[in-house]
Amino acid sequence: MADILLIEPDKLLAETYFLALDQAGHRVMACAGAQSAILVADRHQPELVILELQLVEHSGIEFLYEFRSYPEWQDIAVIVNSFVPPSEFSASQELLRDELGVVAYLYKPRASLQQLLGTVSKHSPVKA
Amino acid sequence: MTGDETKSTILSQELLLSLAEELKLPLIQIARRAEQAGLSSEADLKPIQVSADSALRLIDSYALGVRLATQPENFELEPVSISSVLYDVGQQLDALAKSYGVALELNVAGRFAPVIAHRQGLQAALTSLGATLVEALPAQEYSQLSLQLATHRSRYGIVAGLYADTRQLAGDVLKRGRHLQRRSRQPLVTISHSNGAGVFVADAILKAMGLELITSRHQHLHGLGTVLKSNNQLQLV
Repeated sequence: MADILLIEPDKLLAETYFLALDQAGHRVMACAGAQSAILVADRHQPELVILELQLVEHSGIEFLYEFRSYPEWQDIAVIVNSFVPPSEFSASQELLRDELGVVAYLYKPRASLQQLLGTVSKHSPVKA
Repeated sequence: MTGDETKSTILSQELLLSLAEELKLPLIQIARRAEQAGLSSEADLKPIQVSADSALRLIDSYALGVRLATQPENFELEPVSISSVLYDVGQQLDALAKSYGVALELNVAGRFAPVIAHRQGLQAALTSLGATLVEALPAQEYSQLSLQLATHRSRYGIVAGLYADTRQLAGDVLKRGRHLQRRSRQPLVTISHSNGAGVFVADAILKAMGLELITSRHQHLHGLGTVLKSNNQLQLV
């Protein structure tokens, strides 16, 4: 079970993801945009991030660069769950994986809750 | 704008693509909510209904825009009270606004002469615009989540629009959005996390009616709306 930072701009989808993750036993901190996500991360030290790339004003990629610029957040797993098809990042897969620490990329229209929960479970830190 | 240009706006591939992309959002909301209900044996169907209605409203508005542009002879103009149109728009948006935690306020103080317009088209354009703004406001991370449906006089006529306390709706946001529509997944990036199809559908419907979508200010609020010409003769009727 992990402390998860959920960055989801759509309020209705955020509520659904929150419910599913909460019922799976995770502690979820939800926010709608990049700026508040940095503040929430600073306050609550998440163990895993679920990120939509299409945000208002600052994109998810901008968030990732900012997030990874802090030494204490270098190793936190980030799962992208986005409207942007992964094919649009085909030329930058390595950048996402190696530089920005994206451990999984889910395409929102095709990713069920079960897939999201499975991916979260796979990348959650193991607790003693 | 000529009739052919109006048709090409509403029938453009960019707008169709925008519409298709935008419809993914309510469909994902429905699919995931249904899945969540199955996982938890919780059967709150209200959010599903709100999302489905939102998708239907957008499709319906687009279809009306196409008909207005392609068969203008079938649509008669009539004297329309802007206050009553805004009231109906508020009713249409009520459930969606509640779901998104956005307070809708109707501000139609003052007497306004009726305008000659296509009522259904005007209502569809403002509802489509309003739905996009309702969905977008929580994503802008402002604590003040309220949208005002308002009308006021300007030197160009009567302005009817939707306003919020957000500077993102100011300036050349529409001009940039129209320019980026064919180039970007998020042409209205300062307003909406989606591709803002509702704004472009409203834009196309208004164009089909010979009107224009504009950025506007109402008191201290910023918003989007349209300018209508009042008919003083009708006021005497």
